[in-house]
Amino acid sequence: MVLYKHYGILVIVSLMWMSGCSSPFVENNMIEEIAPVVFWSVDKGAEGKLKISTLVPPLIQEEKRLLSNEVDLLKQGGKEFNLIYYRELKQGQLRMLLINEELAKEGGIEKLINTILVDPDISMRVYLLVVRGDFDEYIKNQLTKQENQDYFLYRMLEHYEEHNQGEMSIVNIHQFMKRLYSPLKDPILPVFHSDKNNFNYVGTAFFQKDKEVMVIQDVDDEIFQLLDNDHFLKILAIPKLSISLGRIRSNVRMKLSRDYSSLSLHVRLTGRIEEYHGENNIQKEEQLEQLIHEIEVHLEEQTSDLLKRMQQWKVDPLEVGTYSLKPFSKEITDEQWMEYWENMKINVDYDIKLYPLINVERLL
Amino acid sequence: MKSLYNRTSTFNGIYFLLLINRTQMHYYVLIMPVYLVHSYMIWGIVVMGLLSQLNVMLLSKWFTSSYAAKGYQGFLQLFGKRMVQVFAIFGLLIILLKISILSLGYVEMLHSFIYPSMDKKWLILVILLISLFVASHGMEKTLRFVVIAFLCGAWILIVFIPFFFPPIANYRDLYPLIPTEWSGQSWQGLLFIWSAYSGSVYLAFMVPWLSSNKKITKYLVIGNMLTIIEYLLLFIATILFYGSSFLSKINFPVVYMGSYIETNALDRIDYILISFHMFNYVFDISILLLCFYGAIRVIMSKMNERTTRIGLLSSWFVILISIILMNQWLWQSVPGQKMLLNIQIWLGAFIYLLVPTILFIAVKRKESI
Amino acid sequence: MVEKYDPQMNNLQMLPWFDDLKQKLNLMDDAEVVEHRIGTSASVHLLYINTLIDQERLNETIIQPLHRSTGNSLASRITNAKVSEVISIEDAEQKIMQGFILLNDSVNDQWLGVQLENPLGRAVEPSQTETVIYGAKDSFSEQIDKNITMLRRRLPITTLKTESFTVGSLSKSKVVLLYIDGLINPEFVYLARKKIESVDFDQFLDSSQLAAFIEDHHHTVLPQFLQTDRPDACAYALGEGKLTLLVSNSPFALIGPITFFHLFQSPEDYFLRWPVASFLRLIRYGSFMVSLTMIPFYVALTTFHYQMIPLPILFVLLESRSKLPFTPFAEGVFMIITLEIIKEASLRMPSKTSQTLGVIGGIVIGQAAVEAGFASKVLIVLMGISAIAFFLVPNYQVTKSMVLMQVLLLILASFLGLPGIVIGMIGILAHIHGLTSLGQPYFAPIAPFYGKDWKDLFIRGPLIWMKTRPKNLKPLRKSRKEIKK
Repeated sequence: MVLYKHYGILVIVSLMWMSGCSSPFVENNMIEEIAPVVFWSVDKGAEGKLKISTLVPPLIQEEKRLLSNEVDLLKQGGKEFNLIYYRELKQGQLRMLLINEELAKEGGIEKLINTILVDPDISMRVYLLVVRGDFDEYIKNQLTKQENQDYFLYRMLEHYEEHNQGEMSIVNIHQFMKRLYSPLKDPILPVFHSDKNNFNYVGTAFFQKDKEVMVIQDVDDEIFQLLDNDHFLKILAIPKLSISLGRIRSNVRMKLSRDYSSLSLHVRLTGRIEEYHGENNIQKEEQLEQLIHEIEVHLEEQTSDLLKRMQQWKVDPLEVGTYSLKPFSKEITDEQWMEYWENMKINVDYDIKLYPLINVERLL
Repeated sequence: MKSLYNRTSTFNGIYFLLLINRTQMHYYVLIMPVYLVHSYMIWGIVVMGLLSQLNVMLLSKWFTSSYAAKGYQGFLQLFGKRMVQVFAIFGLLIILLKISILSLGYVEMLHSFIYPSMDKKWLILVILLISLFVASHGMEKTLRFVVIAFLCGAWILIVFIPFFFPPIANYRDLYPLIPTEWSGQSWQGLLFIWSAYSGSVYLAFMVPWLSSNKKITKYLVIGNMLTIIEYLLLFIATILFYGSSFLSKINFPVVYMGSYIETNALDRIDYILISFHMFNYVFDISILLLCFYGAIRVIMSKMNERTTRIGLLSSWFVILISIILMNQWLWQSVPGQKMLLNIQIWLGAFIYLLVPTILFIAVKRKESI
Repeated sequence: MVEKYDPQMNNLQMLPWFDDLKQKLNLMDDAEVVEHRIGTSASVHLLYINTLIDQERLNETIIQPLHRSTGNSLASRITNAKVSEVISIEDAEQKIMQGFILLNDSVNDQWLGVQLENPLGRAVEPSQTETVIYGAKDSFSEQIDKNITMLRRRLPITTLKTESFTVGSLSKSKVVLLYIDGLINPEFVYLARKKIESVDFDQFLDSSQLAAFIEDHHHTVLPQFLQTDRPDACAYALGEGKLTLLVSNSPFALIGPITFFHLFQSPEDYFLRWPVASFLRLIRYGSFMVSLTMIPFYVALTTFHYQMIPLPILFVLLESRSKLPFTPFAEGVFMIITLEIIKEASLRMPSKTSQTLGVIGGIVIGQAAVEAGFASKVLIVLMGISAIAFFLVPNYQVTKSMVLMQVLLLILASFLGLPGIVIGMIGILAHIHGLTSLGQPYFAPIAPFYGKDWKDLFIRGPLIWMKTRPKNLKPLRKSRKEIKK
């Protein structure tokens, strides 16, 4: 039954028949004929349009330049770039999407991000960044000084995401959209500041639906890293008490009361004292205890303050809402939860265990 | 030229295990999470799985009866020639619909993810060609091919295990565990699961090639259990990954999840996963193609003549043309696609309910006479 | 034809068949007829082909005993060699061409044949094709009797049967079928006997030519008989329940029925410790898969699926590929064919010049191709790994057929990318699955599934666990253990 010459005839006949239909191969993905872009930067353009920029040619050792375009729709921009540059620009390797803060504050970035999410060519691990300032200026400036700026930015983000380093909040599209669509959570994004010479991390932005409402920086951001992001921080500097804590791991327990009127947040930190410029002699045990107590109080104040601001702005990035889900009863809606969250009394308790790197005298 | 339906040796019980499992793991498993959005449908899968176990036990009674081992002659003895021909005509249409939905579903997935601009006809042709090649080796060899299909297709599940560990997984997404509201959509979800388990009903016609060992019930039960575990694993992984409300917005959640996996050497593993999943489809389509040809022979009363190459080729050609026409007229538009899927779900559920019961009753009746 | 008659004897016309035999041996310069006078009135005519007999022993075995003893019949005088009666003229012709010396017994009026073959042949040497570090180093030679000796020494049991056949109208090759009676499934012996007896061809210069006539599937690239020149591999196979065919003038024995996985087993697997042997076997299977799919995978990724390549590697690839004029597919085909040309040329070259070839090959493929812009650096590295990985498979025929499979996968990859490679794999697997060797499925123990035989499939399980013979051989005695009383 397995007669190969009959299959040959069959294949030829099918091919002849099929040639009447349209040709099978339409897209040309051959690697030397395309230029896969690594990032898109979206900014607010004139008259309600979007301004899209990208760097070409990506990844090859040729003269690079920044292409910008003002368009209504994202994919339209992608297409118009093809008409400018001689190689076809493909989005399959898109790794970062940089959104200007003006756009994020206006709201409506959900549609932008949705375009990227539903495209099966683009992976779901695209990093989302909010940029304060002008990214295009920065890139233009760096073109002559350092090559492959886009690639190194991607490597930096990947480095911090990989082993849960905890220094920055790194969010990819999937995480953002999951939080956006889930009723009891709110999304976050990292914020970077960019001007002609600098591009640095500022803090984390909290979103309500898809509109940016507040940005936290410095100590607040560090506390947020401990509370929610990776539960790990390499260095926590507290200048007020002249101390730097290092390699901190946090363990957070949240207990929500039955009627959703109060929340008790218990945070347990373990770390070590890496630097101390103060006057106390921490080699003595009681002074060390005193210092630890002061740190606890300070952190509790800061955290309560942060949570109050979250309540004011009606955002819940710490996913406290998920604690209201019970296995055997109906879940509460988003609006109900926001009401409860606004009026909730929050009690923060820190329990810090620190290990100094110098010898502590043990009292007999 | 050897007949396509020769029997030279019998198989052990393990083939039942693999066959049941592989005939239940294809297109439905990929779109299942979209039909059963809520986390309490986990119980739905378990309950339907247990009902399917009962059905499988009914089937096993059929497998061990002497009528099954005689194949066509056994059916003639049970039902008479007219009835068998009527059943064959219905079966023909049902098989045709099932092959079409399977191929169209898989081609849809290939088309969305890997080749967005390729004409679907080529993909349909290629898949059907390779199924023809596998089927042309004969029924016995195609049934044995299940071992290869299992080994090359089952490892895909292992790739989804990292989704069970935090921080990607938030176990609170699984709450609430019991259904707090029940709607028509939930009933449809249960029907869908029942229809997904229905792949194993075609085994009832393949008993002459499989041994009628008395101990096969054990293997059938284990095979079904394996399917239940696989469904549960994939469904729970999708809920943990997406959360219920996001889940209802994605069309191929399992495949998108596959694209999230990142390794050091390669990104976008989902291309490899989709390609290897083809083994399941090719195996299923080959078996169904041989059943289709067998049904045509029954209808045209040619069971005593030899099988011919032209016969197999022409049944293959009929299937190809009908799939392409279905694609052209119905599958391209959303209402048409929905209608086809619904028909297939209802039909599948229906035959899974009816066929084991009819066979069981017929055997009991004959035995009591 | 050289004829030496004693001038005083003159009884030629009384010899039966003599003229017919002389007619058949016409125009053969090495055929000799010698008359020896015995006693006063009797003479013996010796008829032989002097290139086929052992001339050194002719004198002591035949001529001297004939002259010495008197009165007895001729047959009883010759004690050093086997004497048999010649029945018909066809028998006489066959015997004389096999190295027998015909002598006529005028007393009993019959022809006798004395077997005195020329022992010319190769000494026992180590095998050139399958070398092992531990293990016996003798290998089969072209003399079939010596080969049987080596096998009988390893299996000194009376149940090792040797049935002989003659095939080939011109070459008259002797084929010996060996099997262990009471162990092997008689179905295989019956099948092999039937197939050998129905062979109709003129010459068989090697056992693989015999295999071409008795195998089940003629149009496939995979062999259905294992060819080996190691007697220990043959003995092991016989002990498992397989049969062996030895063909005269060929140092390679045929073993059947085999499965696809036997082509990946080397005799050394059973001499090393089992974790080490398992690891080596896994590497062999891994390298088979890798070398088969590496170049097609590369072509699929660079032609269709650029999204799969991680960013750092994409960097390197874009750099190296942007200056090339050829598509990845053309490059791949070009490199595969060039590699095959070099491999073939190195086989045919005289050994003195092969070193030059190595240098030229390295330079041509490596450096110059990249610098001239024919190939990219990444592809050269992949080609090198793939070429070396090919040679890990012990069976030479499979190595050569893998190249064809690789080209098929390459073509499919260039048409359909990754799904094309999977379609090719399904096709190859279905094809292998459909083959049979002496009627037994070729892809056992995967399909049909024999769980117990998996201990010797991808790993080499400890010998103490191997209590049963492989199930796909359906042996009559399943257990390997002999019950000691």
